[in-house]
Amino acid sequence: MLFSQRKDGILPVGNQHGGAMKQKTDVLQGTLALMVLKTLDALGPLHGYGIARRIEQISGDLLAVNQGTLYPVLLRLEHEGAIASEWGASENNRRARFYRLTRQGRKQLQVETQDWEQTAAIIEKFFAVKTEDLS
Amino acid sequence: MKSLRRFLKRLFNSAARRAQEERLREEIAEHIALQTEENLRAGLSPVEARRQAMLKFGGVEAMKQDYRAERGLLFIENLLGDLRNALRTISRMPGLAAVIILSLAIGIGVNTTILSWIQLIMLQPLPAVSGASNFLVVEPRTDTGGYPGASWLEYGALQAQLPALRDLVASEMVPFNVGEKGQTERTHGQLVSGNYFSALGLKPAIGRFIRPEEVERSGTEPVIVISYDYWQTRFRGAPGVLGQKLRVNERDLTVIGVAPRGFQGTMLPLKFELWAPATMTPALLGGARDLDDRTSRAFSLIGMLRPGATREEAQTEFSTAMAQLARDYPEASVGVTGEILPFWKAPRGPQRMLMTGLAILQGVMLLLLLAVCGNTANLMLARGSTRQREMAVRVALGAGRWRIVSLVLSENTLLALLGASLGVALAVWGTTALRIAPMIGAFPIQFQTRVDGLTLTFAILLGVACGFIFSAAPAVHLARLDPQEGLREVSNTPPRSRARKVLMAAEVGLAMVVLIAAALFLQSFRSARQTDPRFRPEGILLASYDLSGRNPNEASEREFAARLLEKMRALPDVEAAAIATNVPLDLHGIPARPFTVQGRVRTEPGQDRAITNTVTPGYFKVMSIPLLVGNDFADMRDKAAPAQAIVNEEFVRRYLNGADAIGHSLQARARSFAIIGVARDAVYNSFGEPAQPAVYFSYRDVPATQGEIHLKTRSGNETALTSEARAVLRGVDPVLPLYDVRTFPQHIERNLYLRRIPARMFVVLGPLLLSLAAIGIYAVVSYAVARRTREIGLRLAFGATSGRVVLQIIRENLGVIIWGTAIGWVLALIISVRAITKGAVDLKAFIGVPAILLSVATLACWIPARRASQIDPMAALRHE
Repeated sequence: MLFSQRKDGILPVGNQHGGAMKQKTDVLQGTLALMVLKTLDALGPLHGYGIARRIEQISGDLLAVNQGTLYPVLLRLEHEGAIASEWGASENNRRARFYRLTRQGRKQLQVETQDWEQTAAIIEKFFAVKTEDLS
Repeated sequence: MKSLRRFLKRLFNSAARRAQEERLREEIAEHIALQTEENLRAGLSPVEARRQAMLKFGGVEAMKQDYRAERGLLFIENLLGDLRNALRTISRMPGLAAVIILSLAIGIGVNTTILSWIQLIMLQPLPAVSGASNFLVVEPRTDTGGYPGASWLEYGALQAQLPALRDLVASEMVPFNVGEKGQTERTHGQLVSGNYFSALGLKPAIGRFIRPEEVERSGTEPVIVISYDYWQTRFRGAPGVLGQKLRVNERDLTVIGVAPRGFQGTMLPLKFELWAPATMTPALLGGARDLDDRTSRAFSLIGMLRPGATREEAQTEFSTAMAQLARDYPEASVGVTGEILPFWKAPRGPQRMLMTGLAILQGVMLLLLLAVCGNTANLMLARGSTRQREMAVRVALGAGRWRIVSLVLSENTLLALLGASLGVALAVWGTTALRIAPMIGAFPIQFQTRVDGLTLTFAILLGVACGFIFSAAPAVHLARLDPQEGLREVSNTPPRSRARKVLMAAEVGLAMVVLIAAALFLQSFRSARQTDPRFRPEGILLASYDLSGRNPNEASEREFAARLLEKMRALPDVEAAAIATNVPLDLHGIPARPFTVQGRVRTEPGQDRAITNTVTPGYFKVMSIPLLVGNDFADMRDKAAPAQAIVNEEFVRRYLNGADAIGHSLQARARSFAIIGVARDAVYNSFGEPAQPAVYFSYRDVPATQGEIHLKTRSGNETALTSEARAVLRGVDPVLPLYDVRTFPQHIERNLYLRRIPARMFVVLGPLLLSLAAIGIYAVVSYAVARRTREIGLRLAFGATSGRVVLQIIRENLGVIIWGTAIGWVLALIISVRAITKGAVDLKAFIGVPAILLSVATLACWIPARRASQIDPMAALRHE
């Protein structure tokens, strides 16, 4: 229905949310949030670029493109109270927004790390069992 | 917790969005600057370094979109945007908006007003008493269908025998003469049981209420509670009123408290000012035996259900108790059963009748509102087609269907809510206007209707519902729009919309149904009034006197009436004069009394009852009721004649099997009366009632404390007699007030007042509805015509006469209107035959209403059509 009226070459602009893409960003956003928390935990207060670089260094190509996607995640974490931000001076003495982990964020990181490890362990076991069964 | 916090932040951000936008812009700039420096260090050229940095950052706009979605609540922001847009759109069409808002305001205002009445009667039957709808009326019922009230002793017995009711409260309505001799003022009050105020859960404004122990022994506690209004008007709200003496029926009573504001007693809609202990009855009413006479059923009972008990349980207990009483005290209670009813079904008072009228009215008014919605939908649709381009651009720019629908919806809901708020203002005004207390008969009446939370919610809901109803068609229409076509369409020829025509037809049909209903209602009301009462009220002056407080006895009452009549008859303009205890067509009805006819054996259990009125000789002459057989009563001072009675035709038919009545005797009021004559039947309680058996007793035999003086004038100018009548009464008793002076036609009018409320509303609303329908048709046709300017210009340029153009436009629209009228007509016919007149068809309404409606509709088509046909063809062709 949504596309049926647009067959004649006028390109829609704005409010479009492709269904499939959304799914992927959700997963990405979940892991990205965890990475942000871990980065801030390890390195202390950082600005957006710093966080992006760190994640890039460790994860390789996850943030090689689309570094911008980091900012909505930062905003969400801030809204949830896991991180806080204030203006500060960057390395080249310009104004930059610095993010730091809050106490609640630290707790959230602990919980999510545990969850993640648990999930990872289960998945690992699951795969291991499967190989044995097959053989 | 986390999500709540996030929600609140986002809500806050929605309000302050500028600063946030700035922050993101700055962060992005800094990010890209840092990345560019990094790239420069890696050896890229400045231009390439910046390009790579931008590439790495990714799509800024898409990210911003996500960021915004996270930052605020998109839903709320869209809504605010829509509202801003709606305001702009509405302000661009002030005339149209005014018509829509005004017609909606009328529709919603009227509905809200009616609801406030229904609410008053059903939910708040006792003003100032919370939870009043939980109270039930406990009414003894005679086998002839009358509701005589309960006696004090009966009340005492019932209190113990109705465990399903928490508190059984008794009250008796009494007239009081307040003040010193010579300057007494007539006020109404209630004599109440000891638990009266506590059971109602009332708190005194100041002072205290009557205590239960003050209502135990007869006549010992001379205390009185006054109403808030009485306190304010007579004592200027002074707290010193407590402890003051109030002279009531020539007894000094001490004011002990003031009832809370708004409390007006327990017999809606009567407004009482004074409350005294029931045990003061003998003292205040000149030795009345209401407290120990079981046949004196003077008290009204109400009670609240005990938690967990049902009305059925209470009813069963009540029936058992009444049966027991009938066995124990047959002379007072044989044939008396009882009913427990909610307040709005109370048999005495106007609730029942009002409720039916109001329910019909509410239904009709909701239909009217629906017609207004149809009207508005039509206008919006006509307007919507001029907005096709706007919407096409929006769709082309990527607005989704739901955004278009919500845009239209918010515009219309805003309109509807504006209408609703104006409607509430109208309702507030309307209910206040109706609160002004009219005097009905001798009794002050007050309806405390008001607009409160419930009615306000109702009005707003109506508004929102209206908005949705009349948005539906335009929204669907616009959302289905193909942007290509909408953009390409430069010519203004509107698509011939079926929806618009169907709506116009539906609206006319609805108007038809409502107008016919109004006409029928009016007709039935008028025919009820034109019914011959079978007596002649013209030229009769009525006035009341009350000897209670004079401690009268039979001899003094008889003598008083005889002397008064002699003097009245001596007045030159008086043709005939009489005194009676009851006046026909009174709001409260004429009491029916049990009797036995000598020689008649009653086969079924119970007692024969007939309407009784006690009259002086001359009464039949005053009323122009012919005596078919026999003569008038013996003279008032005749001591020799036996006790006499005159019966009516129906009495003879029913109880004497049509035999010669004279010579029979009947037993009533503990004595025997000889029937000396037969009077023609008359109307007693209401127009259109079936023939009622009636017995007239003579004042000579059973004198009464109160009397209604009937004076028939020679000149026909009965009001001129008022001062003379007062002078005569002063001559007989210098301090007794003459009260409730009115002409007989006035008496009838006042008692029809309550019936008139719905009828009057119909009279106002019929024309209103007609004009609404006319506005609707006019607006739709003029829109359609305005948008066909080019086509009409073309026709005129090719030589069509303006007459032809007008005719064609009228024909096109009238076709649709006739369809609507026909459907409405058939519907109204079905409703009328099935529900209202039960078979008979009122031709006047069924021919007159369509004729009026169609002529108005034609006129509403003709005006815009004529205007369109008079344009200059050249100008019209240039019109884009």
